[in-house]
Amino acid sequence: MSHHLFILSPSDTPLYSLTHLSSRPAAPAPSPLSANLPSWSTSAFAGTLTALSGASSMAQMSTQGGGVRMGGGQDRHVIQMIANASLDMIEDVVRRENGMYLKAVDKFNEWTISAFVTPGNTKFVLLHEGKNDDGIRAFFVEVWELYLKTMMNPFHTAHSTIRSSVFDTRVRASAKKYL
Amino acid sequence: MDDYAVCALAHVRILLVPIGSISKRTFDQWAAEIRTIEALRLSDIPPGTRDEKARFMPSPKSRGYIHLNYPSHPPSSSLFDLALFRPSLFPLGVIGIASCSRTDSLSSILAEFNASLKEMFPQDCLYPLARNCFIFEEDDGSTNLNLGDLLPGLVVIPSAMGNKKENIETLLADLCSNILGEFSTIMSNLETPLGNEYLNAALFPKMPSASDMPRPLDDDSRTPLPSFNSQPELTTVNKRQSLLPTRTSSTGPGMMPPSRQSTLGLPARKSGIGAASSHGRLFKVLGDLFLLSGRTEDATIWYTEAVSLFKLQPDTIWHAAASEGQATIALVEAWMASQSTVCAFATRPGQWSDIVDKVETAAGLYAKVTPPTTDNQYHYAHLSFLYVHAVLRHANVLLSVWIARGWGQLALSTMLSPRAAPPAPRGQDAAARTQREKLSSLSGVSRAQVADALSDVHGPWLLHLSHRERIGVLEQLASRYALLGFRRKEVYVLREVVGCIMDLIVCGRAEGDAATFFDGVNGSSPGGSMQSARMQMADVAVRETDRVDGNRSIVALVSYICRVHGVDLDIVKHIDPNNASVDEKHADDEDALEDPSGWAEIQVGIVREALAVAEALPEPSVVAQFAFSALKSLHTVLSDDDQLSLFGSASRALTAARRRGDPRIIEYWSGQPVVSVELVPPHTTRQLVESPVSLLAQRQPVEGSSLLRTTDPFLYNPRKAMTAQGKTLVAEGETLEFLVTLANPYVFDLELQNVSLSTTGVTFTTPHTRVVLAPTSTHTLTLTGTPSRPGLLTIRGLLVQAPGGAPREFLLPLASAEEDERAARRRSAVQCEMGRVKFSGLERKRRSVGASGEGKGGRVRRFLECKVVPVQPAVRIRWSSLAHGALMLYDGERSTIRLTLENVSPLPVDFLRLTFDDSTVGPAQAALAEGELSVFETYETEYALLKRPVFSWDAARHEGRVIRPGQKEVVEVVCAGKVGCTSGVISVAYGYVNRKQATLAQPADVFHTRTLAYPVLVTVYQMLECNAMDILPFSPTAAGEKTGDGDAREGDVRALLGDAEEAGWCLLTVDVRNTYGVPFEVTFGRDQDGKSTPSTTSVVAPGSTARIILPLKKLHLSPPDWDKPIPTLSDRQFVVDKSALSAAEQRAQRQLFWHRERLLSVVHATWREVRGGRSGELSLRRCRMTWPMLEAVRVEGVSVRIGVWRDGGGEEAGRRGEAVSVRGGEFVYVRVEATNMTEDALALTLDLAAEPAEHVLYDGALVDAPLGRVGTGERGTAEVPVCFVACGRFTVDGRVRTVGAAEAVGAARVRVVVEE
Repeated sequence: MSHHLFILSPSDTPLYSLTHLSSRPAAPAPSPLSANLPSWSTSAFAGTLTALSGASSMAQMSTQGGGVRMGGGQDRHVIQMIANASLDMIEDVVRRENGMYLKAVDKFNEWTISAFVTPGNTKFVLLHEGKNDDGIRAFFVEVWELYLKTMMNPFHTAHSTIRSSVFDTRVRASAKKYL
Repeated sequence: MDDYAVCALAHVRILLVPIGSISKRTFDQWAAEIRTIEALRLSDIPPGTRDEKARFMPSPKSRGYIHLNYPSHPPSSSLFDLALFRPSLFPLGVIGIASCSRTDSLSSILAEFNASLKEMFPQDCLYPLARNCFIFEEDDGSTNLNLGDLLPGLVVIPSAMGNKKENIETLLADLCSNILGEFSTIMSNLETPLGNEYLNAALFPKMPSASDMPRPLDDDSRTPLPSFNSQPELTTVNKRQSLLPTRTSSTGPGMMPPSRQSTLGLPARKSGIGAASSHGRLFKVLGDLFLLSGRTEDATIWYTEAVSLFKLQPDTIWHAAASEGQATIALVEAWMASQSTVCAFATRPGQWSDIVDKVETAAGLYAKVTPPTTDNQYHYAHLSFLYVHAVLRHANVLLSVWIARGWGQLALSTMLSPRAAPPAPRGQDAAARTQREKLSSLSGVSRAQVADALSDVHGPWLLHLSHRERIGVLEQLASRYALLGFRRKEVYVLREVVGCIMDLIVCGRAEGDAATFFDGVNGSSPGGSMQSARMQMADVAVRETDRVDGNRSIVALVSYICRVHGVDLDIVKHIDPNNASVDEKHADDEDALEDPSGWAEIQVGIVREALAVAEALPEPSVVAQFAFSALKSLHTVLSDDDQLSLFGSASRALTAARRRGDPRIIEYWSGQPVVSVELVPPHTTRQLVESPVSLLAQRQPVEGSSLLRTTDPFLYNPRKAMTAQGKTLVAEGETLEFLVTLANPYVFDLELQNVSLSTTGVTFTTPHTRVVLAPTSTHTLTLTGTPSRPGLLTIRGLLVQAPGGAPREFLLPLASAEEDERAARRRSAVQCEMGRVKFSGLERKRRSVGASGEGKGGRVRRFLECKVVPVQPAVRIRWSSLAHGALMLYDGERSTIRLTLENVSPLPVDFLRLTFDDSTVGPAQAALAEGELSVFETYETEYALLKRPVFSWDAARHEGRVIRPGQKEVVEVVCAGKVGCTSGVISVAYGYVNRKQATLAQPADVFHTRTLAYPVLVTVYQMLECNAMDILPFSPTAAGEKTGDGDAREGDVRALLGDAEEAGWCLLTVDVRNTYGVPFEVTFGRDQDGKSTPSTTSVVAPGSTARIILPLKKLHLSPPDWDKPIPTLSDRQFVVDKSALSAAEQRAQRQLFWHRERLLSVVHATWREVRGGRSGELSLRRCRMTWPMLEAVRVEGVSVRIGVWRDGGGEEAGRRGEAVSVRGGEFVYVRVEATNMTEDALALTLDLAAEPAEHVLYDGALVDAPLGRVGTGERGTAEVPVCFVACGRFTVDGRVRTVGAAEAVGAARVRVVVEE
């Protein structure tokens, strides 16, 4: 089961991204309809279409027997697209609700999206498959703390990419712990 | 799209088909007319004629409606498997629309109608159940149709008919009546045991073919269905089925015992699901048909029956479909209720949540179905299709409620017909947002809820769908997201739409190619045909004309996707070169100072995809546009490889577009390439100076003008700033050079096909230049040009043209104060905004608009301007008398430099003026400008600059002379040796002033000159130093004493002193030291009274010092002469006296100054080389004058003489030496004689003082004794009787004052020796 974390600036620019492969069991089996997909075309556009509709990840899953997937290549682009598209929902929900943690704010294809919006309108977007409510909440709170520590650097603005290796290590540790 | 309406299950679809030669406009007009009829009352349907057909006919009193829907396309062939499962998907009726004209006959129209129907529907298809062809008579009424011989299935609607709509409605009701009749036929077929077997045979069963069915009693020649089914051609499946033993006795409708099934010998795999052969499916079909015929009560009954059966024997798909039908019934009934009782209808959330639940359950049931793995793959497609539709239906219910502000009539109408939907808020601004929120709060449905439902549609199963369905579903999805205002999700789906369409295009093209290829192969002689095909290809280039109708839409879609992601692919626009106006671009419109916005990685990805789409279409000019736009807007985030590949594809595309003859060109794209344009200043000899003509009137430059270059007293002088930015002067017909700095921020070689200056004003011929800018560098380019007429030339900026692009002008205004301030303010505003977020998400783009909005208005831009003046002459220095331009001088020596000027131009030179500069001028001017010098020093410096210049010339000699073309002229310049001078410049200004006027126009009030500079190296040796100047009082007796001691130059001095009379003389002594290696002869002379000029000469040996003694007549300056302030030689203003001197000190200073000036004007010193003829002046200005010197040199105002007389003035007392001898106790008279030496009469008083005073007796007053008014040369006398009462030495001082003044104008002293 994999998780994808993106930290997005208020202008939707990714400041940090993390792909975490969890050792937990994979999500419940997908809909029977998504099995036995046809491979009817080999053009590049069909490839895009396949990827965007989530079919390629299905195919991967079936070939690898439900094991962990590597989010690379075309797939990575799709995951970014999904994260980006979920901002619509996040913005909508943020306007209505007060909490910073937005639990399972959106779902798309096989992904569930949880988000955490800081008071400075920085968004942590997490794509995950299974349900892990408390873990994700704890993870977000820890990432927030780490993020705040980074932001206290006077040379760091809301728009600058986070390149700190310390931040990276700690977020990874936190992901290992909670996800 | 009405296909996706919530209540589509209740829609009777009637396909509208154009028949014959009807024009699109006419067809659209009539189709729109028909489409206005959305529902027919059941009571309007004419009842059927026979009982068998009357099963679905409404009773005359029933209240329901038949809902009509008019698709314009036949269903896709892949869906025909669903014919029984979902009849509402298919057009139950077909209406052909034809217009009849003179040439058409009714029979031909009918034949065409039938033919087109055959094309659209496969032959074994159940549908359409009824058809009709409407022939609209054209307006002119001149048709040859004979209404009498009407063919069945054709209706002619005459143009004369008044209420066409009502007529059409009647015709439609007839059609519906036919359809309802056919429903009975279908049902009666299915109710047979065989029919039920067929129904339960497969997941998506087929209608048993007519040959399998027991022949019904009635003949059905009137219905179109058997006419199709009676065709002899059968598909293989049908053939196989028809071979089976099928004839069974019908035990009654729907009463087939289940045990019969095995005997039918149907394939076992098909019976997997429908093994039970229950009547559930039959009841469900019955329900569907009743729902379509508007009889909801009956439909409810049958659906309930079906569902209860399905619960016993699970048949998930049919169960789901039945639930959908139930939900639809609920909606339709609710709609009917809302139609009938408007007021009583109230919004109760509980009421519709049931319906929503039902729809949701149905969707869930579809999702759960696991299709039999062995079955054909179409099942996946159909299941996905049904699932997606069910989910969409669920989402659409929510969306309808949301958009209609809650459950109600409007929402229900929207569900029945999406056309009725109220307009949704568009856009992303605050107004739209609040409106959306308002909708959410009013309806009780949040956008998230709808989106949640919609997101279930999307999944890998979409790949199961056929292309057409998929595109349809994705479009629906996208439009729903757009309605909700979820732009990013919309765009995500739109990408899939584009991918889908592009895949079709690419694959279609590939198949087309393959087809032609195989055609060739399958020819009679395969090899030969291939050969010939190749030959043909080689000989003739075949270019297929592409159809580009859809391309524009796809391109628009792609650029919309990119725009939502924050990439504007239309930044670089296409320009039609025919009416292209060169648009201008201001230098600082670009603002690189911006926070990154948007998801760069995604942006790059979609740009790549957009390029791929445009390349695949193929739209080369769009490819170029996209690539250039991406390069322009994304070049900060694009990697080097991306930049290179984008540029490569853009270049290729440009070439391709040109080859294809695309008339459009791309506007200039690469940001702001121009950094600066500057005029290379011409060589100093070509520089022009403009002066007013009035200057010519003055003969000589104003004296002291060389001192005018002082610092400005004002810290800020606006006039100066104005003149500093004045126009550069250039001469007509001479080449100008401009330095242009260009920048290339990209990693590839940026080629600029055409770079030229953009000018206005005077015609300016400038050649076009092609330049290639190296990657990420700046490049400096020299552009030349020639102004061809006098006038004003304005350089606005640069015209730049990239290969294959349109030229673009980049303006480069001059940096003015306001401009700078504006830019600075803007920059600081942007910097202030940096890191702050006011608009997040998709609204981030709005910020920059707000920031740049201010201050755009009344901005006056100034540009680099050149004033082009008429052709100017040219002069050069042909020869000069100096070798190597160097000159060696002794201090005070004068030398002459000769310069030969030659006019090398075709114009005469009638104005010549020389100005000079030397190395002493600068420091002196600086010191003067500093203002720290004392008044005296200031005078000295100014004197040195003005009265003793290094260079001078005789301007009067050259006045009015004209140097004709080719002539020469000699100019003489005098150079004076001045210590401290090391170099100098002789500037020759010349011009052609008095031109011949071509017209009578007022001549210009300015003239122009050019300047030649001739630098001179000057070496000045200081060989003689004058110092220790002193002035001693001189009296003949003293002279006698002095000369008595045997001086060597006694004779000389005596000779000099010969005419020195008794009084009024003094001696000037100066030490002259020779510091040079050569002896010099020094001569001092005086020039007093104009009569005699005696002089003293002595040779000063190297290293020795000689004292020069020169007797001087005392100088006489009257107080008005010396009591003047020290003058300033220049006309400087604002001379502030900084010295804080008292009045007395100031008087003393002035006296010293003026006496020194007189002294220096009287005494003149010259030197001469002893061996050699060089001579010059020796300046005494270094020497200072002191107060004792002043006392010695000046003539007193009043000369006072004191005498001592005995006996009432009869006898003067005897003298002993200098003293007067008097006896003690003797009465004597002290007589004071004051002689007025001044020019004016003076009123004088006398102060006498005898010391020691206590031993002196006197009569009268000693102080302020009046002497009276004494005229010039007259003598005033005063006598005081005095008695010295003690023996010893006394002094008597007499001071003469003018009345009222404290200072004495004359004084004398007498010593008195008193003896016994």
